[in-house]
Amino acid sequence: MFEYIRSWKFTSFKKEKYMIMESKTYKFFVHGMHCASCILVIEEILKEVPEVREVKANLHARTVEITGKWEKNPSELAELFTSFVEKNGYTLSLEKEEKEKKWNEFIFAFPIAAALIIGFIFLQKLGLVNVISGGEVGYGAAFLIGLVASVSSCLAVVGGLALSLSAQYAKGGAGWRPQVLFHGGRLIGFFILGGIIGFLGSSFHMGQTGSVLLGGLVAAIMLVLGVNLLDVFHGIKRFQFTMPKAIGKRIMKERVIVNGITPFVVGAVTFFLPCGFTQSMQLYALSTGDFVRGAFIMLVFALGTLPVLSALSFSSVNIQEKSWSGIFFKTAGIVVIALACFNIINILVVTGIINPVFNF
Amino acid sequence: MNKSIIVSVGVAILLIGGAIAYTSNTACVGNSCSASPSQNNQKIENVKIVGERQIIEIAVKGGYIPRKTIAKTGIPTILRMKTNGTFDCSSSLMIPQLNYRKILSSSGVEDIEISASKATGVLRGLCSMGMYNFEVDFE
Repeated sequence: MFEYIRSWKFTSFKKEKYMIMESKTYKFFVHGMHCASCILVIEEILKEVPEVREVKANLHARTVEITGKWEKNPSELAELFTSFVEKNGYTLSLEKEEKEKKWNEFIFAFPIAAALIIGFIFLQKLGLVNVISGGEVGYGAAFLIGLVASVSSCLAVVGGLALSLSAQYAKGGAGWRPQVLFHGGRLIGFFILGGIIGFLGSSFHMGQTGSVLLGGLVAAIMLVLGVNLLDVFHGIKRFQFTMPKAIGKRIMKERVIVNGITPFVVGAVTFFLPCGFTQSMQLYALSTGDFVRGAFIMLVFALGTLPVLSALSFSSVNIQEKSWSGIFFKTAGIVVIALACFNIINILVVTGIINPVFNF
Repeated sequence: MNKSIIVSVGVAILLIGGAIAYTSNTACVGNSCSASPSQNNQKIENVKIVGERQIIEIAVKGGYIPRKTIAKTGIPTILRMKTNGTFDCSSSLMIPQLNYRKILSSSGVEDIEISASKATGVLRGLCSMGMYNFEVDFE
């Protein structure tokens, strides 16, 4: 099944002498290569393998071409190279990856997703907001409000975004770093931005158009990531959010995880996402008229949302190696798509296009 | 695609649909939910006439209570929104017909003036994320 291209590296008069030294290009199929950053990871690692002259990975064909001199046969080479990239979640083989879509995983994914969605709906009916009493907002209250917010309808926006991003990163073979960056970005972002609105005494609330656009953008991202997680339609991978290869390559060189800054920025931007709790807390933070107080109130609020949000995002770390990872990703995909639809319906309601559908 | 997937999808959709239908038809006051919203609304006397104006009181916390109010049409009206430790979406109030959009303070009272000419038909208010709403029928 393998193909190789002979490339003569030596001029003809030297050829007879160095016959055994000829370089060959081998082509392997890569299992587990899902994203543009995978190309960089694979190329960078395999370049370090002794005797490798050139590595060229192809995302579309899911192949890697490796040029070098070996006395091993291609299947031994596949094993050799696999041993280098295995820990990153990739395997090389001579056989094309069986593109089995594992429809059967949906048999489990749908009921699990349904249970989670029903759980979400009933959570909204529990009257959890009543644990928050009126009166002065201290740090304890801010933490409590954060806890309640993280299981409220804000879960559909921020939680959905956290789940879809982290599952997407996990699928690409990334470990816990992007999730830590996302939550770090969120905490630091809330602290700094909370301090700024406290200091300025005015908030950056966006008008109707701004919040609808941002909400729509988040819903669209969730929809695309959700469909990606289902692993059914391969065409949509083209819409993936990845960094340009040139930038990614430079970051990779400095031994920082690919897309290092993206999760951090996304985490900080969640400050602006349409979530009633966040907006009320911001209103409170600006009423303090003080940088330190505003910053800490928003930080404590964000800390309150952390347990649930981090449970969502860390659930997918290292899941790629598990046998039931397919079911996990499909379940996550269905839940994320459902939350995206919930957000889209709400946006249509807010813009007055349709009458209210939900009333929790 | 095989039969069991179709069955699994069908069951999932039915369950979710049922949950949405169930939650949409119940009204919650405090921690107790009742399955019949109309009964619930009658219990709450939230419209009173003071002088020439009518005042409609709506509690704002985890939604709007009552969800449906029947009021007199064609008289100057005050919509009195009462918050009490309200940090959820319902504090971010929108009334599109009045071009009203405000984040209410977490505890307090907010009066919204509705002129006699605007107090007609159905007035709908909702939170900025859209999942809580209320309506006032001017009859």
